[in-house]
Formats: sequence, structure tokens, C-alpha cells
Amino acid sequence: MNGLFFYLFGFLAVALGLAAVLQRNVIKGGVALLGSFVSLGAVYFTSGAEFIGIVQVMVYGGAIIVLYLFALMTMDLEKMKEEPLRLGFVSAGGFLAGVLFLLIVYGAMSLEGAPSLTVSGAKELASPLFYRFLLPFEVVSVLLLVATIGAVAVGRREE
Amino acid sequence: MSITGYVILSALLFSVGLFGLIVRRNVISLFFSLELLLNSANVLFVGFSKLYGNYYGELFVFFVLAVAAAEAAVGLAIVVALYRLKGSVNTEDYSSLRW
Repeated sequence: MNGLFFYLFGFLAVALGLAAVLQRNVIKGGVALLGSFVSLGAVYFTSGAEFIGIVQVMVYGGAIIVLYLFALMTMDLEKMKEEPLRLGFVSAGGFLAGVLFLLIVYGAMSLEGAPSLTVSGAKELASPLFYRFLLPFEVVSVLLLVATIGAVAVGRREE
Repeated sequence: MSITGYVILSALLFSVGLFGLIVRRNVISLFFSLELLLNSANVLFVGFSKLYGNYYGELFVFFVLAVAAAEAAVGLAIVVALYRLKGSVNTEDYSSLRW
């Protein structure tokens, strides 16, 4: 049952991600990306990483995509008319992406074993996060502070 | 499902993101592709964390999430500032930094 849902939501995530990348209308692309991220959250659920799944839906779906869509509302969508994709770029991108995909899958052929489907909620993750990874945690909090101040400073209108 | 499923899902997401990064000329779409790249790494982190039975991989997903949020905030601020300056979000109008 878990495997079925893994493949279903994995397929959904890839298909919606492809739609987000190829969609000419940026708002529609953002909504497709939102669906892709929610499907990825479901993929995490099927593998037992429940807390990561919830955080994925909340942070990626609820915060990041909404931030993008909110910023898009301040722009003029009529000016975003993009000329059609160029054949040279499409072939180069398709070739590179295909080669990369084959390389990654070829490299993973030597791996074996099935992931154990133990449930990891907030309780299991809290202890390593706040003991072993305390310093990276604090560094990330400083990074978020710096990013907030930087975003305000860059986005401020010059008087 | 085996670990190969996770690797194939991650590779597909990464390929889609890379394809979008090369093909598109809209900065917002480039950001979408970047988020896909970060998510493909997250899938692999979770898969290997479950494979080896410890939580360190899942913790790294948190750090990736925080960095992605910071990147989105700063990147969008830069894009909005550039949009005010040039009136466009097409990368070909941003060629003043090119040598």
C-alpha cells in the first residue's frame, strides 16, 4: 500500500514539476509547483518521515510558494510575455538533463536494500537536532536573520 | 519499494529542474526550477536516512528548508528591485552585468 502511494505521489510530483517548469503563465506555474511540493510531502509521509512531510507542506507550500505568488502580484503580468522556447536551448537542456538522469540512476545501481518504514515524528528528530546539531541550528537561525535584514535592505525604495 | 525508487524520483526532479533552468528566460520560473533542485536533494536525504536508520539525513532536510527560505526571500527582493529598475523579469534584459 505504501509503495502504491509512493509511486502515485512521486509521479504527481514529477508531472506537476514539469508543468511548473514548462508553463508559460507564471501564476499557473506557481500553483503547479505548489501541487508538486504537496505531493512530495505525501511521498515523505509514505516513507514514514511524517514530521518532514508536514514541514514540507507548511514551509514550501505555505510560505515559499505564497511568497513567490505574492511578489508576482506586484508585477505586471502583461510584461512577462516570453517568446517561445528556442529549439537550441530545448535540445541542449533535454540532452543535459537526460545524461544527468542516466548518470544518477547508473550510479545508484550498486545500492540495494529497502528503507525501513519507521515513523519519525517530532519526538525522534528533536533530540539529535538540539544536541548533536545545535551549532548548525544556531547558524541557520543567524542566516535567517541576515536574510530577513538583507531582503528588507535590498527591497527598500531609495528616497 | 526499494531505495532505487527514491533515487529515480530524485533524479527525475533534478533533471526537470535543470531542464527548466536552461530553457526558461523568466527569472521567476528560474526560481521555481531552483526549488525543484533543492527538493530533489531532500528526497534523497529522506530516502537514505530511512535506509541507514538514523535521523541525520532528515535533520539536513530542515537546514535545506531554512536555506531555501532565505534564498527565496533574498532572491525575490533582488528580482523586485531589478524589476523596478528595468521593468522586466526577462534575463535577457539583465545583461548589464555581462562582460
